[in-house]
Amino acid sequence: MKIKVCGMKHPENINAVSQCEPDFMGFIFYKKSPRYVLDKTLVFAKEMNPNTKTVGVFVNSPISEVLEIVQEYNLNFVQLHGNESVDYAKKLYNAGVNLIKAFQVNKNFDWDKIKDYKPFVNYLLFDTATKSYGGSGLKFNWELLRNYKEEIPFFLSGGIEIDDAEMIKEIDLPQLFAIDINSKFETEPGVKNEELVNKMINTIRMKSKYQVNDKGFYGEYGGAFIPEMLYPNIKELQESYEEIIQSDSFQEELQALLKDYVGRPTPLYYSKRLSDHYKADIYLKREDLCHTGAHKINNALGQILLAKKRNKKRIIAETGAGQHGVATATACALMGLECVVYMGAKDIKRQAPNVARMKMLGASIVPVTSGSQTLKDATNEAIRDWINNPTDTHYLIGSVVGPHPYPDMVAKFQAVISKEIKNQIKENPTHIIACIGGGSNAIGAFYHFLEDEDVELIGIEAGGMGIDTPETAATLALGSQGVLHACMTTVLQTEDGQVIEPHSISAGLDYPGIGPQHAHLHKTKRVKYSNITDQEALDAAHFLSHMEGIIPALESSHALAYLEKMEIKPTDRIIINLSGRGDKDLETLTKTIKE
Amino acid sequence: MLQELFKNTKEPLLNIYFTAGYPQLNSMPEILEGLVNSGVDMVEIGMPYSDPLSDGPTIQNSSSIAIKNGITTDMIFDQLSKCPSNISKIMMGYYNAVYLYGVEKFCEKCKDNGVSGVILPDLPIDIYLKEYKGIFEKYGISNIFLITPETTESRIRYIDECSTSFIYAVSSSSTTGKGTGIQSAEGYLRRLKGMNLTNPLMVGFNISTKEDFDFASTYTAGGIIGSAFIKHIAGSKNLTQDTETFINSIREKK
Ligand SMILES: Cc1ncc(COP(=O)(O)O)c(C=O)c1O
Repeated sequence: MKIKVCGMKHPENINAVSQCEPDFMGFIFYKKSPRYVLDKTLVFAKEMNPNTKTVGVFVNSPISEVLEIVQEYNLNFVQLHGNESVDYAKKLYNAGVNLIKAFQVNKNFDWDKIKDYKPFVNYLLFDTATKSYGGSGLKFNWELLRNYKEEIPFFLSGGIEIDDAEMIKEIDLPQLFAIDINSKFETEPGVKNEELVNKMINTIRMKSKYQVNDKGFYGEYGGAFIPEMLYPNIKELQESYEEIIQSDSFQEELQALLKDYVGRPTPLYYSKRLSDHYKADIYLKREDLCHTGAHKINNALGQILLAKKRNKKRIIAETGAGQHGVATATACALMGLECVVYMGAKDIKRQAPNVARMKMLGASIVPVTSGSQTLKDATNEAIRDWINNPTDTHYLIGSVVGPHPYPDMVAKFQAVISKEIKNQIKENPTHIIACIGGGSNAIGAFYHFLEDEDVELIGIEAGGMGIDTPETAATLALGSQGVLHACMTTVLQTEDGQVIEPHSISAGLDYPGIGPQHAHLHKTKRVKYSNITDQEALDAAHFLSHMEGIIPALESSHALAYLEKMEIKPTDRIIINLSGRGDKDLETLTKTIKE
Repeated sequence: MLQELFKNTKEPLLNIYFTAGYPQLNSMPEILEGLVNSGVDMVEIGMPYSDPLSDGPTIQNSSSIAIKNGITTDMIFDQLSKCPSNISKIMMGYYNAVYLYGVEKFCEKCKDNGVSGVILPDLPIDIYLKEYKGIFEKYGISNIFLITPETTESRIRYIDECSTSFIYAVSSSSTTGKGTGIQSAEGYLRRLKGMNLTNPLMVGFNISTKEDFDFASTYTAGGIIGSAFIKHIAGSKNLTQDTETFINSIREKK
């Protein structure tokens, strides 16, 4: 949806608001308006950022005057806000002026009268009916818009304020083209509060300061630091992924699979015994109940549908714990695609049950013996495979890492977790806690709460033997900024830029990098990051097994263990994202059963 | 310096890649001596990186040995400062090392140590243009970009516009040392030749013998050899001599 900021007047203010990149800026040429333009406004407007179109707003002015002003100030559009006739519009339109015709709507409005203007206008604008010509700061009943049956796209105007953003996003009229904001974003008539405007623009565009920008960055993190060999492939993916995954046919197919194949929505389980124990309300988001046993399947299915739409014949993936490998092998079996999974030799040993499952599902598993023989090196090998197979292969990355658009794309597929949570709660939780390897289950659990600043979001990294030892995978605690796996992020590395081999008992968290969005959420302090040691995670796994009869994955146990470390108030409502089940970890877990 | 080399040399140019710090930490002077003696035109000094995504097993291995040997970016410059200067030098590596070193400091050190070009395959052109072009120019360092058989014509022309010395034409869409054979690149190399680009082209990947080199040179200004040379010097007892033997097998001594 586009945004027009109307009633601009002062050059400094215009300059500041331009930074928010509205699509249109309106200048009022109606002498009776308190927002009537100044000469210097126009000189300035003439040199505006070409991405923002200028609109001159007129009320029953003589045509010659309008034409003169349009010429002199290079206005891109003229908005007719008075009782201008069809003939009037026709004359201007035929003189080459782009037109927006405004109508004042109330319940007696005659929608038929729009018809005659249709050939001569580019857009319509619906404003609240008043005695004068707009500017009332009042809203009309938007239900009335249902009477609009024409095809010409329209601007919605009249008293729109910041709190209307969500409601506006829910209006499902395809002709709704833009919103027009004005008086509710002002400190005085003609002076806009740029922060408020910015917030509105970001909410409407569904862009938040926490989400990826159009260059593929989250603040200074992200991007696509790829060799030229991958350029055509990634470029095409960057340009097409949003459109594909937003399309109705894609969503229909994906939602059906998530429901009937994965078993979504997963329960948000109120854990009575944990709640009693910790003296607060504790909920578990049961991603462990997904088909294949972890959240990874949400992303694997999303990407496999995307790969199919892009006619890819061969799927490659990296895996650490094997959960993503299993999810990918499952998705490939379902779609009849060839599947190759790269897995570190060390992980093949410690996650044997998942290796067996992948084989059962018909995937080929390539053991990776370079470097630390874990997730980082499996990812390297998968990327190398991709370089060698640039046209027919889709690289199905398992977390919110890698070059843009992967971090955003995977986040969007995992966002279903927090979307469901929102539907499952009456009141926002106080805390959401999730473990972080690359960060996909965490982003999924946080996604729809990022703008709800009252919810404390906590990401848990693997502390390994402790962050004061070299045997750790706590990237944000100890890392520095650098490029790993083709994105700028935080990395465990030497001063010279050599990546340090991490350690965690949990293969899925044993990674020396982190998704760029997390690096950004850390930097902006929106999410709090902490870490949990191998031992603490093991203890939490045993504890949950005994308390609730749920054996958690070692990864998820890191999030659970944080309950021991945080200060809990009786009024707290804490959600733990239980990202996966512990079947794959039984060998490690049973070794540590206390007799 | 690179520009003059291309202008003043009529023969096909030979560029040899080797990994700094390999096989031994201080092997660079011996290798360079052999390269200079045998009349190589350009050398590409590889800065080892722990996660070299564009490289196959040979260069992965030489890199990890070099890192184990203890090589650092500073040591590479230090070694270079003690080496013969009468040969064109290019530094090749991954962006992360240069980013951490500091791009400006890196370019300055390149200039001080007779390095005239840099190849960073994973530094995107738009970021280079926006953030670093000015710095590279300030120190007279040429940034060298890659093209591949999948690169579209319009992008090749764009890269040509952004280039200041030569374009690195990767002969196949692959990691290094794949050995798929240079012959299969004939159509691509012919197409490149026909484009009449402003900058000369050097072909890299899949060149390991005299035949490969001669083949690549019929379409371009010359060729780059990496993995084959690294393999050749593995376990060498006399680096200078073995280097010369290898080069003489590729091209008769000038
Ligand atoms: C159960 C489970 N949780 C968490 C993770 C960590 O990945 P991410 O941080 O992307 O959610 C994994 C990865 O293998 C996993 O299997």
